[in-house]
Amino acid sequence: MYNTNLKTFLTSNLDIDEKAVLSLVEKCKVKKIKKNEFLLKVNEHCKHTFFVEKGLLRQYSIDKKGKEHILSFAPENWFVTDRESSYFNLPSSYFIQALEDSQVVLLDASFIQLLSEEIKSFTDFNNKLLHNHIRHLQKRINLLLSASAEDRYLQFVTMYPDILLRVPQTMVASYLGITPESLSRVRKELARKNFNQ
Amino acid sequence: MKTKTVELVASPRAPHFVGDGFRVHNFIPSGFRLDMQRMTPFILLDYNATYNFPPSSKPKGVGVHPHRGFETVTIAYKGKVAHHDSSGGGGVIGEGDIQWMTAASGVLHKEYHEEEWSKKGGDFQMVQLWVNLPKKDKMSTPKYQAIKNEDIKRFTLENNGGNIEVIAGAYKDVKGVASTFTPIHMLNAKLNKNGKAEFQFPANYNTALLVVEGNIVINTTEKVPTDHLALMANDGETFEIEALDDAIVLVLSGEPINEPIEAHGPFVMNTKEELKEAFNDYNNGKFGFLEA
Repeated sequence: MYNTNLKTFLTSNLDIDEKAVLSLVEKCKVKKIKKNEFLLKVNEHCKHTFFVEKGLLRQYSIDKKGKEHILSFAPENWFVTDRESSYFNLPSSYFIQALEDSQVVLLDASFIQLLSEEIKSFTDFNNKLLHNHIRHLQKRINLLLSASAEDRYLQFVTMYPDILLRVPQTMVASYLGITPESLSRVRKELARKNFNQ
Repeated sequence: MKTKTVELVASPRAPHFVGDGFRVHNFIPSGFRLDMQRMTPFILLDYNATYNFPPSSKPKGVGVHPHRGFETVTIAYKGKVAHHDSSGGGGVIGEGDIQWMTAASGVLHKEYHEEEWSKKGGDFQMVQLWVNLPKKDKMSTPKYQAIKNEDIKRFTLENNGGNIEVIAGAYKDVKGVASTFTPIHMLNAKLNKNGKAEFQFPANYNTALLVVEGNIVINTTEKVPTDHLALMANDGETFEIEALDDAIVLVLSGEPINEPIEAHGPFVMNTKEELKEAFNDYNNGKFGFLEA
């Protein structure tokens, strides 16, 4: 299977030629999953980092009252995993589910090891990715603690420009930690500002 | 004048639901050799072949969504659809009616089975087409053309062959009521058994025929069954169809818009930057607001 997006992602970020990337990427397993199917469920052990070639995933938890809370969306070119499970070998607290028919590349520890050995610039790049991820998490915690619904929404659409058109608004509200009614109010207010109504 | 031949006959692909109210077979752009570049100015054709919806007290349909950069044309063969949009417009598309919506710079709208129809349920059959707009008109002001069946002009075929409803463009001396931004012919050929009709379009116009009812033969040799689409080659101007039984054929022919196409979800623009702008504008409320 031809993982075009992963190949492009690696060649555009690393000092490596296309042929070398192709031979590495070909070693990865690819999984096709249908909408609503799961890549990970609570209490399972997560063995992979998933790179989204095509489609859309969500990572979420369910609280004691049965309510879902979306941690992240993963559209094309995003990575998603449960690090506590995959790196600390603990049972997972999360579900990873396809929201559209999707194709993902399964990356495991040995592949990361292989990249580190074969590509000199990979370790630096991987560190950069990790720092970037932590930066986003810090921002997200801060927004959840301190920002208005509108500011959270505006940050969300900057990061995920097309998700609003791909998932029900209840899911966007869940990601933002606000009610669907609040999300609707925010969008109505933004439209009002634009039309001076 | 050369004969326009059949390039291919496409079977309906596996259906999928748009929202919960439209069970459609997509022909354009996902069909083999039916991509947007090949079929321009027709960039999407979803066909809800006759499907029986059971009664539902809550009307089924598609919730609020935006469009920018093109026109949507809804042709109702069976069933009724109610629609509302962010400019306060709305209406009901009944059997035989056409709704021609120029989304252009952008609208939010929603489409549902009409409430009373939904309560009774029944056979539902519709076509939704997306017609591209040239670059210069993509950001023009949105508008509607609500075309009632009784306002559509008809050409009566000889020998009791049936009639041709002219939605847009022209058939012989009968002109369509819909106004279009680029030259387009859109016709519903309603043929009686053994009825014949001749068509003439410029060779470069992209042309397709969707057989909505019955079975037909094109140019005396190519049989096209119900719910199939015939793509005509760009090799000539004239062709003829004959109905093997009572038939309804949607005939589409349009001058190609030879401009770059960048499409993602409900937006069809000329460049990636314009697509990005469309998403930003939608996210930031510049398409207005419509209650779910």
